[in-house]
Amino acid sequence: MQRHDAPLDSGLSTLAILLLVTCHSSMVQTMESKAQKKWAMVVDLDRCTGCEACVVACHAENNIPTVGEEQAAMGRAMHWMRVERYYQGDFPNVRVKFIPVFCQQCDAAPCEPVCPTYASYHTAEGLNGQVYNRCIGTRYCANACPYNVRFFNFYNPVWEKPLHLQLNPDVSVREVGVMEKCTFCVQRIKAAEITAKADKRELKDGDVQPACAQSCPPKALVFGDLNDPTSEVSRLAGSNRATRLLEELGTKPKVIYLQRESWGDGKES
Amino acid sequence: MLSGSQSRWIVIFVAACALVFLIYVGRADTRSPRADEDTRARVSPVFTPAHRSVLDAVRDFFNRRPVPVQPLAFTHKVHLANGMHCTDCHTAVEAAPVAGIPGVELCMTCHQMIAADKPEIKKLAAYQKRGEDIPWQRVYAFSPTVHVKFNHAPHIRAGVECKTCHGDMTQQTVAVRAVDLNMGYCVNCHRQKQASTDCITCHY
Repeated sequence: MQRHDAPLDSGLSTLAILLLVTCHSSMVQTMESKAQKKWAMVVDLDRCTGCEACVVACHAENNIPTVGEEQAAMGRAMHWMRVERYYQGDFPNVRVKFIPVFCQQCDAAPCEPVCPTYASYHTAEGLNGQVYNRCIGTRYCANACPYNVRFFNFYNPVWEKPLHLQLNPDVSVREVGVMEKCTFCVQRIKAAEITAKADKRELKDGDVQPACAQSCPPKALVFGDLNDPTSEVSRLAGSNRATRLLEELGTKPKVIYLQRESWGDGKES
Repeated sequence: MLSGSQSRWIVIFVAACALVFLIYVGRADTRSPRADEDTRARVSPVFTPAHRSVLDAVRDFFNRRPVPVQPLAFTHKVHLANGMHCTDCHTAVEAAPVAGIPGVELCMTCHQMIAADKPEIKKLAAYQKRGEDIPWQRVYAFSPTVHVKFNHAPHIRAGVECKTCHGDMTQQTVAVRAVDLNMGYCVNCHRQKQASTDCITCHY
């Protein structure tokens, strides 16, 4: 009997999975079509000088604590944004490439389905929301994230007084046991939306700027709405230099990297 | 092994301890939060979002907060009865996240002349003379652990009346927490007005 049931079982489960997948993708599609905005960031790697002004700005804007040397050595350093360094060629003919990496706000985010409490969820505007209140600290999302951009609060963050006076009142200070990550400066998005509504107008391209994009000296970071075909982000995303990080994983990231040549060819240009 | 009666007594003892603890926690704390902050500042050279003690954490969990003691016996009732409006003093409410508490200078524009002989107004005048601001205590505030970012302006623009969240101020002297602003209260109103109930509308 068992042997006869097995193909039926596997057939049924395949059917169920197919059904689930179609349901999910159609849900995602309806959500996308309803959404008015699709926030995205373009990172021009040919412009990035690796100055890390974005990293500093991000720390200041989002109340990101520093964990100290000991914790950092254990891999618990928290930087919502980091600038990765890659060397090409041997000394003295060496070239350095910088890649600013932060939450890619994936459309098919691996962090979302693994969260047992829906603390990590997809908003109608396509952001990967992180609700600190819901987070119970399972850290599944950080394990699922292929970009390594989610950070866990192993301890309550600490600021030497009077440094606590520079904390941004528009952003929560996360406590021990919750996961955090780049939010695309959602507090700035919300503030811009409220201002635009008060002025009875639509959001314009450039109204919203995350702290990193605002502080970038060579303007390598551009933020905007992908659903608006006239936006700077849409224009740059259509460039033939456009690529995305770990695209082959199918995460559909909303951070677009621009570069002249592909990675790992080892050729000098 | 413990006998049946012994273990029963242990259970009763533990339950009694828990009861005493909860009663102690449940008592409204009437200490001024300012005094608390001063002690904390002396004790710790760092800032952290952690609760100062287990007791504080339990209090926060049960939503018991200190009853603020205001430095002046301000009365909303009298001001409103004399035909003033909320926005006359809370000037920023239509444009900013916080409604704003008037500075001593704004109070004194009227009280230079009006009721200048009353003892509380004399205290007010003394603040102005010393060039100090009045150390008002916060009445409504979200606990930092709930990660709520509230903005007054869009609520006022959407036609939400002040009394929806602050109670009938014409009957209050110093402001009291007349409405329990929990998430259910907010979400109910958001649903009725078809405002967004997305998590990151308020929590970020």
